[in-house]
Amino acid sequence: MKKVLSLLIILSLLLTGCWDKREINELSFVQGIGMDIDKDKMCNITVQVLKPANLATSSGGGGGGAAAGKPYEVYSSRGVDFAKAFANFNTELSRTLFLQHNEIIFIGENLARSGIYSMLDFITRNPEFRRTSYLVVVTGGTLDDLMKLSKNVEKYPYKEILGMIQNQRNTSSGYVCDVNHFVETLETEEVQPIVGRLEIVKKDGKPQHARFVGAAAFKNDKMVGFLSEEQTKGIMWMDNFIKNTSLVIDKGPKGDKTHITFTVIKAKSSIIPKVNGDDVSFDVKINFESNMTEQDAMYNLTELKMIKSLEDLQEQKVKSEIEDALNAIQKKYKVDSIGFGQKLQEKYPKVWEKIKDRWNEIYPNVKVNVSVKASLKRSGLTSKPIQPR
Amino acid sequence: MDRSHLIEYYKDMNLYDDIDKNLEVLKTLLKQNSDIIFREFRIGEKKVKAFLICVDGLVDKALINNSIIEPITLETRKLNGNPLNKKSVYESLLNYFITTADIKEEEKFGNVVERILDGDTPVFVDGVDKSIVISTKGWEQRSIAESTTEAVVRGPKEAFVETLRVNTSMLRRRIKNPNFVIESLKIGKYTKTDVAIAYIKDVAKDEVVEEVKKRLNKIDIDGIIDSGYLEEMIEDNPFSPFPQIEHSERPDKIAAELLEGRVAIISDGSPEVLVVPTIFVQFFQSAEDYYERYYISTLFRILRLAAMLMSLTLPSIYVAAVTYHQEMIPSPLAISIAAQREGVPFTTLMEAFLMEFFFEILREAGIRLPMQVGQAVSIVGALVIGQAAVQAGLVSAATVIVVALTGIASFSIPAFNIAITFRLLRFAMLIVGGTLGFFGIIMALMMILAHLASLESFGVPYLSPLAPSNTRELNDVFIRIPWWAKIFRPHKVAGQNVKRQNYSRS
Repeated sequence: MKKVLSLLIILSLLLTGCWDKREINELSFVQGIGMDIDKDKMCNITVQVLKPANLATSSGGGGGGAAAGKPYEVYSSRGVDFAKAFANFNTELSRTLFLQHNEIIFIGENLARSGIYSMLDFITRNPEFRRTSYLVVVTGGTLDDLMKLSKNVEKYPYKEILGMIQNQRNTSSGYVCDVNHFVETLETEEVQPIVGRLEIVKKDGKPQHARFVGAAAFKNDKMVGFLSEEQTKGIMWMDNFIKNTSLVIDKGPKGDKTHITFTVIKAKSSIIPKVNGDDVSFDVKINFESNMTEQDAMYNLTELKMIKSLEDLQEQKVKSEIEDALNAIQKKYKVDSIGFGQKLQEKYPKVWEKIKDRWNEIYPNVKVNVSVKASLKRSGLTSKPIQPR
Repeated sequence: MDRSHLIEYYKDMNLYDDIDKNLEVLKTLLKQNSDIIFREFRIGEKKVKAFLICVDGLVDKALINNSIIEPITLETRKLNGNPLNKKSVYESLLNYFITTADIKEEEKFGNVVERILDGDTPVFVDGVDKSIVISTKGWEQRSIAESTTEAVVRGPKEAFVETLRVNTSMLRRRIKNPNFVIESLKIGKYTKTDVAIAYIKDVAKDEVVEEVKKRLNKIDIDGIIDSGYLEEMIEDNPFSPFPQIEHSERPDKIAAELLEGRVAIISDGSPEVLVVPTIFVQFFQSAEDYYERYYISTLFRILRLAAMLMSLTLPSIYVAAVTYHQEMIPSPLAISIAAQREGVPFTTLMEAFLMEFFFEILREAGIRLPMQVGQAVSIVGALVIGQAAVQAGLVSAATVIVVALTGIASFSIPAFNIAITFRLLRFAMLIVGGTLGFFGIIMALMMILAHLASLESFGVPYLSPLAPSNTRELNDVFIRIPWWAKIFRPHKVAGQNVKRQNYSRS
């Protein structure tokens, strides 16, 4: 009896198998999914789907045979909501859409402006979407334009864009935000989300390539406006996101017109809230280290005085970037993208309780003192500039 | 009387003092065998009747000629004027004339016949109801050769042969201590196979030695042809796929295990010596580990454990990942696998199963192929399975790679018997992985682990020193500590006298 029972248990374990079995070559790998809404408030989904046979490098691709042609295909679908639109793909695709290898979700500008809540609900409910996918707002063209960009180093446009986004570690010129981060900031009342921005560059009306630069500021789930590259950098300075970026100064220590470029190698920021009665203000402190990468004015970096004045220049530059950013988010868009409110709530919860409801009115006029400390570490391989005689 | 009754009848019967009667009885028992030699002769002036019997081919003829027949027939003539009666002829043969070392007297027909068939030579003298049995064993045997199944780069090369005495001598040469005991018994009603139990008395656990003897004595079978028979008959869990008794053809390895307090079981006719108690990790220890520098040995050990895991799970993980958990494969690899599988008619599980099956056929055929065609066939086989099958689009390249890797990995395990166990389990894992995904693989691994933990070999838990864990003895599991730091014997194995050495450099 015992044996029969244990056999039944083992069999019941085995019988549960196979229900979610999918052969890997029966899937269409989605590499880049874009969502937007059109004028009729209908939801659109655009996907870039790979054709693995055309990607194979060797001839050993099974029945692939003569595998020439582009390795991807773009499909679009329409529906009353995103789930319906996604389901509609089944009517025109031979294989199941497979989202688990997709790492970017493109948001159309229209959708971003009207609110991405429904999209967010769809992608967080579906287990196939990666919660670590990057969110990107697309401007300057349609999603279709983006998916069909032809100027590529990589084999298909998605890979190109993914590379761009991941490259931000080296340049910090665009804001990288993934689904997790967006949901987190959306659910925190003291912070407003920021999403990276992808700009399609057109030439003669035809989309040429894309640039991942700047950011889009959101108020809750609605986009309120764009931030330029400089402003985005300012935000990133304050958010402690700067890893490795270049800093271009267009005037010399004596006011002479020149260009000096530095590379920031290490940066650290802190935001300290200050409460004085009813008056709330913030101190933003930035410390960073940089190397010189280029100059054309033959400054001699063996002189301490010169180093000091170059450091001052960098400090001014960063300060102006930050102030520019503050101006945009405080005055122009009136969104607390940095999370000043959160800092205040962490340090002075009682004060925050009091002013929480009025924060939207207080915030645009809150005083933020920015202090920057730069230190120039290395001058590259040359310390004394080359002197033509 | 029919023959078997005849043998039973005479088995416990004493020899007669009449030589003609003795000869008659032995002739009825043995005469029909063409390889048995009866040699009759006379001794001395009084021409006392005498004869000897030996088995042609089992005896050293030169020894019989030079040390028995020659002295008896020639030397006894010199005893002129000193006439011998029958009794004193026997005495003087025993004391003076037979010039070999190993002599014994036998009084029963049964024993005499047994000794004859063992290669010894009895000499009968008229008027005496005893026989002088002279050890004259000497037959054609395989000479000691290099170990083929457990080859090493560094370390002794010689391997055991089929002859028990040669094997025990190889051990005795390595352990020169009176406490090194070799006890022997005979197993098998027909084969009467000599089986020796070897151990070091003050190191091995007495209970283990007793248990080995008990289990061996219980065996009542017609014959033991190889030590494999013994292994199956005395192991603790006869239904487990895992071998619970290690065997080796390397005398150095067996000697080292004896020093750890284990008991060796040597069976005549088999070059594989069994060692008990055996623990799981022993199968991953190559003899060379202890001869090569310890850093290197440690590295190789870890490598082998990785190979073991690979040989057990790699195909199942591949199948599970490709059919259930595509998200766990890095994107470029997933796309590449998808591209390779484009147009392949089988499911991944079927594909992997087929390829494993082909590989096993190839391997099995490889053992049996005649040397001359072996190479040609394996090249064709490898090409057909590898290259052509992929090019024809029957299987994907990734599957071929996985199966090939697994096959190679399984051969890097030093012990062949555990490697085949893993090969067997691999098929089960493959099916489970292909139907239940990673969930199934984890379940199967847990079941295997639970089974391993439940095993025991002669009182020692199979998974020790991992479970029950003993941190001190882990120094010879994943790593191999240097010899100067190896102060203790494994204490679960060696019951007494656990200390190996006093001097330590650390």
